[in-house]
Amino acid sequence: MARDLPQEDPLIRMQRDLKRALKKKPTDIKWGMVIDIAKCIGCHACTIGCVAENKLPPGVVYRVVLEEETGHYPFVGRRFVPRPCLHCQNPPCTKACPVTATWKTEQGAVIVDYNKCIGCRYCLVACPYAARTSDFGEWYTAETAELPGKLYGQKAAANGYEAHPAAEYGQKWPDRNGGSPVGNARKCHFCLHRLKVGMLPACTTSCIGRATIFGDRTDPHSLVYEMIGSPRVYVLKEELGTRPSVYYLK
Amino acid sequence: MNEKFFKTLLGVAVLGLIIGTGGLINFLVYGKSTLALGSYIPWGLWVALYTFFLGLTAGAFLVTILTYVFRIKIFSGIGPLSAFTVVVTIIAEMLIITLDIGHPLRIYRMFTAPNFKSMIFWMGLFTLAMLIIYILETYYLLREEIIHWSQDPGIKNRKVYQSMALGRTAYTEEDRQQDHRRVRLLSLISIPVGLFFYGSNGAVFAVLLNRPIWNSTLTPLLFIISALVSGGALIVLLTFMFKRDDAVIHLLARTIRFLLVVMLILEFLHFFISYQWDVLYIVTALDLILYGHYWWNFWFVHLVLGSLVPLYLMIRYHDNARVLAWACFLIVFTFIAFRLSFVIPDQAVYKLEGLQMSYFHERLRTTYVPNLTEWLVAVWVISLGLLAFLLGTRWLPVIQAGRGEEEHV
Repeated sequence: MARDLPQEDPLIRMQRDLKRALKKKPTDIKWGMVIDIAKCIGCHACTIGCVAENKLPPGVVYRVVLEEETGHYPFVGRRFVPRPCLHCQNPPCTKACPVTATWKTEQGAVIVDYNKCIGCRYCLVACPYAARTSDFGEWYTAETAELPGKLYGQKAAANGYEAHPAAEYGQKWPDRNGGSPVGNARKCHFCLHRLKVGMLPACTTSCIGRATIFGDRTDPHSLVYEMIGSPRVYVLKEELGTRPSVYYLK
Repeated sequence: MNEKFFKTLLGVAVLGLIIGTGGLINFLVYGKSTLALGSYIPWGLWVALYTFFLGLTAGAFLVTILTYVFRIKIFSGIGPLSAFTVVVTIIAEMLIITLDIGHPLRIYRMFTAPNFKSMIFWMGLFTLAMLIIYILETYYLLREEIIHWSQDPGIKNRKVYQSMALGRTAYTEEDRQQDHRRVRLLSLISIPVGLFFYGSNGAVFAVLLNRPIWNSTLTPLLFIISALVSGGALIVLLTFMFKRDDAVIHLLARTIRFLLVVMLILEFLHFFISYQWDVLYIVTALDLILYGHYWWNFWFVHLVLGSLVPLYLMIRYHDNARVLAWACFLIVFTFIAFRLSFVIPDQAVYKLEGLQMSYFHERLRTTYVPNLTEWLVAVWVISLGLLAFLLGTRWLPVIQAGRGEEEHV
């Protein structure tokens, strides 16, 4: 019974797990995520949380929620499958990059160096999960009319959100006028900038059903480790041998 | 080539450049947001055009090897023209792919921070190697004439040829022998480099998991064969236009006919084997080619106009150089359709169920139609290539250097 009805909010436990993980030698940490399909209600809060956290422009998304239909009429069902980057342990995307601009860190996160990426989009084509998107340099406020004054119009609207610098990879990325990350491949990075300061990824904290569990998958006391041991666990497209670090619970 | 036809082609190239410049300016000013590409179809018309140019290099590659390595004399007259064609098409190929990438100024990183596991790195390396080899080969093939032109008072802009002659004023028999040895050595080197060049371009597509049409060991082979078909057809066309030699045209056309049949068989096998898998996403991708919105591109443009009609013409009129040239024109002209039906449909299938309903944005769709900017830039690059080629045949002794090559070979 205790396993079915947690005595504390999983977020509290994950926060504790994270603090413990950050005390370890960085090379001993292996980040992992478990998504419990049975708990996902398809609210897309994780998508929005991610977009807001990383100031993602139009057409760029790191975490989508797939809607799958199951069964045949009249016995039909519907389930939601959030899909961040799966941070494969054998990633096809890093092998594809001709300039070593994307790689797997020793903590298991697959990241992109925006200042090195040439924007060939080969990694987008190589990813079997369509987890990478290209930044074509678009603005939400592109069609907004410019008006005089400081409160209204295109500039004011942009300053209200998308002109804010994104904090990805612990840097400020203010330039959306041609410089990186415009023209780059972009992807989920497990919110490394948040982890660095002891915060869980935006998708994890924004999940209202607590369907997303994050932590150090090598820590036997962590919630994520416990969940990976569940008999319900599976990974997407296992047959490709990519060995994702993001697991799902049926 | 008669002057009238030359001027017409020149006019077409200049017109194409003028028309295309509008698209190019739009693209350079407003960037990648002007393209119709998205994240699910990140490679579009320009990548297809890249593979098209890649194909066009192959015929000239074949001819130079047959001429200078295997010493087949019949092709000797078009040797310099072929080598020059390789240079122009590789430059056009590099130009379009440089425009396609998000940060063109960082392309040097391919060589300063290479990833040896990446097929694009190998593709870039072999492309550069081929370009260097063929620039040198063209130079050594033309050097004798360049030196003569640099000393000929009747030639305009002699100073340019004098600088190209690198200070030489006379061309001795010893120089000739030395240049012949250099050309032969470069042609020999170009055999493995060229095969890896075409093979690595095919491998860029073939190594990708979860790409049903591309992920096949047949892909690099199909790339090599199809490149030889289109490139060979281009050489027939150029021989007919610039240096009419019926014997060369007949022999090359016979080779292309055979290669075209091999290509169609390989293509059939590709489809047949893939359909046998009977897996939804594989069948969907194949169905898109055969029965999708652009079914006519495969059936009519590629298969009928680009394969069956030329095949019929090449069999029925095998001794008529003019008809053979027309057949080859059809192959070259429709080859982009073949490339498009290879590059696009594999990307046009959602890789995960439910992806289409997950996040709505026009760049997260599997529908792709090249927009006006993309077409205009494509026209600009093709026109630039055509212009460079036409002017090259006038400003460089590409045609003249072919004379007397038989003795050299």
